Amino acid sequence: MRTAFRSMTGLATALVVLAGSWAPASAQAPIKIGASLSLTGTYAALGQNQHRGYQLCAKHVNEKGGVLGRKIEFVLYDDQSQPATGVRLYEKLITQDKVDLVMGPYSSAITEAVANVNEKYKMPMVAPMASTTSIFKKGRKFIFMVQSAAEVYLEGLVEMAAKRGLKTIAIINEDTLFPKATVQGTIELAKKNGLQVVFVEAYPKGNTDFSAILTKIRAANPDVLGAATYFDDAVAITRQMKELNVNPKMYGVTVGGDLPTFYQLLGKNAEFVYGATQWEVELPYPGAKEFLQAYSMEFPGRDLSYHSAGGYGGCQVLVEAIKRAGSLDGEKIREAVLKLDINTVYGGFKVDPDGFQISHKMVMFQWQEGKKVIVWPDELAAGKALFPTPPWTRR
Amino acid sequence: MGVIITPAMVGQVVISGLLAGALYSMVALGLALIFGVMRVINVAHGTILMLGAYTTFWWFQLLGINPYLSLLVSMPLMFLLGVFLQRSMVHRVVDAPELSSLLLTFGISIALVNVTQYAFSSDVRSVEFLTGSFLVGPLALSKSRLVSFAFAVGLTLFAFWFLQKTKLGKAIRATSQSREVAMVCGVNVQRIHLYAFGMASALAAAGGSLVAVVVAIQPEMGQVYTFKSFLVIVLGGAGNYPGALLGGMLLGLVEQLSSLFLTTQVSEAVAYVLLVLVLLLRPTGLLGGRST
Repeated sequence: MRTAFRSMTGLATALVVLAGSWAPASAQAPIKIGASLSLTGTYAALGQNQHRGYQLCAKHVNEKGGVLGRKIEFVLYDDQSQPATGVRLYEKLITQDKVDLVMGPYSSAITEAVANVNEKYKMPMVAPMASTTSIFKKGRKFIFMVQSAAEVYLEGLVEMAAKRGLKTIAIINEDTLFPKATVQGTIELAKKNGLQVVFVEAYPKGNTDFSAILTKIRAANPDVLGAATYFDDAVAITRQMKELNVNPKMYGVTVGGDLPTFYQLLGKNAEFVYGATQWEVELPYPGAKEFLQAYSMEFPGRDLSYHSAGGYGGCQVLVEAIKRAGSLDGEKIREAVLKLDINTVYGGFKVDPDGFQISHKMVMFQWQEGKKVIVWPDELAAGKALFPTPPWTRR
Repeated sequence: MGVIITPAMVGQVVISGLLAGALYSMVALGLALIFGVMRVINVAHGTILMLGAYTTFWWFQLLGINPYLSLLVSMPLMFLLGVFLQRSMVHRVVDAPELSSLLLTFGISIALVNVTQYAFSSDVRSVEFLTGSFLVGPLALSKSRLVSFAFAVGLTLFAFWFLQKTKLGKAIRATSQSREVAMVCGVNVQRIHLYAFGMASALAAAGGSLVAVVVAIQPEMGQVYTFKSFLVIVLGGAGNYPGALLGGMLLGLVEQLSSLFLTTQVSEAVAYVLLVLVLLLRPTGLLGGRST
């Protein structure tokens, strides 16, 4: 894997050098953008998707003549899904490889670790795959968030429920950083929308038996059940809801519900389940169609997920900021990013003075006949939500 | 933001606890058997359970036949694997210090998990065969868990009958009580070790096959069952076979009731607190160790 990767970057470098000899636009050396990604290890599948996003973005930017009259070139390493390795690699990128700029790695955990490095060297970092709010609220000046925060993952579920006159909500979550933040945010959103929170409980990571927690939920009898999940727990909860005959009028999960495997594992029992996602292929963002086409041409048969689009979109943001700053100076690029208010293939981008994302929209889909149909927000919705979710006994 | 706990809710989780407990008992009986006969703590027990679960998954996926019939395949298959492991490796550490057997079986476990990841990937899989429940008044009885319960009880009773009544079973119990005396009485102890490891693995495999129909499976699922089985046999009295039954049921109930009255987060902690209490008050376990 790693050798293949090296020869790939080698090839890319060779191509860039070759291209440089003909194209007047790149008479100067390319702009070097450094990043580490999880190409092996736990997050490999996700990191590789993000990697393809970065690669495709560089290709497209260079086809259009680059930026500031120069081509861009990624210097990429594999952090093996380890935060400590990521830290070492960003040090190396900045001090030894002397990259001009950096882009973020995959995951909140690794972004949190490497954010101290780019901060130290005052080098701006657009971080496409980190949605934990705290990373951006620690006074760091050179990190910028691209996707929506953990706190708003279930905003769609709450809003749709309130609009349909539902009154009560129960919230459960895995007891780790990201889902906990989702629960805090959901409680706030529920209050804002006039929903009464009737039950909140966390379960440990790796939990497989939800009998007791679901028995309590059945007794609380909420109109809505929101679950701040990853993947395995989302599957187990859905399955055991049927076993214990728990019948909220709406039931939504955060992470994991959007994977095709979710439906493959649960089959018909996944019908009516709502899920939150940062991005879906059919969203009508500018350039999204071209992105999809180019992606399937460039990487035939390879996985495409929101991580790919996020990588591409994050890179678009950086390139636009370089263009507007007219320079590679860290401070100037930082100011340019803070002023940006644009749409990428990944959706809206605008950050507050802390670098915290305020424009990107989460969407909510519902599994209908084996397909994810976007049902929220209204302006992006492709279909109507099937409401209310029928009780298990009547399906 | 909790809820008021009603008798119906207690009834519901007691049922869940008993349904889960029967499975724990059966799986832990296997671990108790190996420990009783050989004084070996088999850390790979849960891993063998995982292999049993995959046997059922592929059986169902490729052949599409009733997954419960796969017990007829997974149990003999894991029996053979158990015999192979005992014959090739574990017999070397039977009389060695306990750390040796821990290290060896831990190594076997890592190897088997990695081979499984390599062969089947670490994707989560599930056998979507029997979902939903029977509704009885305010109670919901999960179909797949009920069937698993029935199988677990049946197999456990069979294992007990076997240990009590058959010649081989008596030889196993004799070896468990005193290897030397058993040897003097003409029991082929090496052979008994093979059978014990095989039987234990078959029980783990049965557990895996039944679990596969209830929850989604993946290569690292086994570890939890190793820990739980260990807890069960220490609760009941290490090497004490009826103790494993009692311990399993107790663990199932304690987990569920503490999840109900406290939270799911602390239910595991409560189980371990119970373990510490038992060790403090009755160091040999609830039914005492070794006696069979």
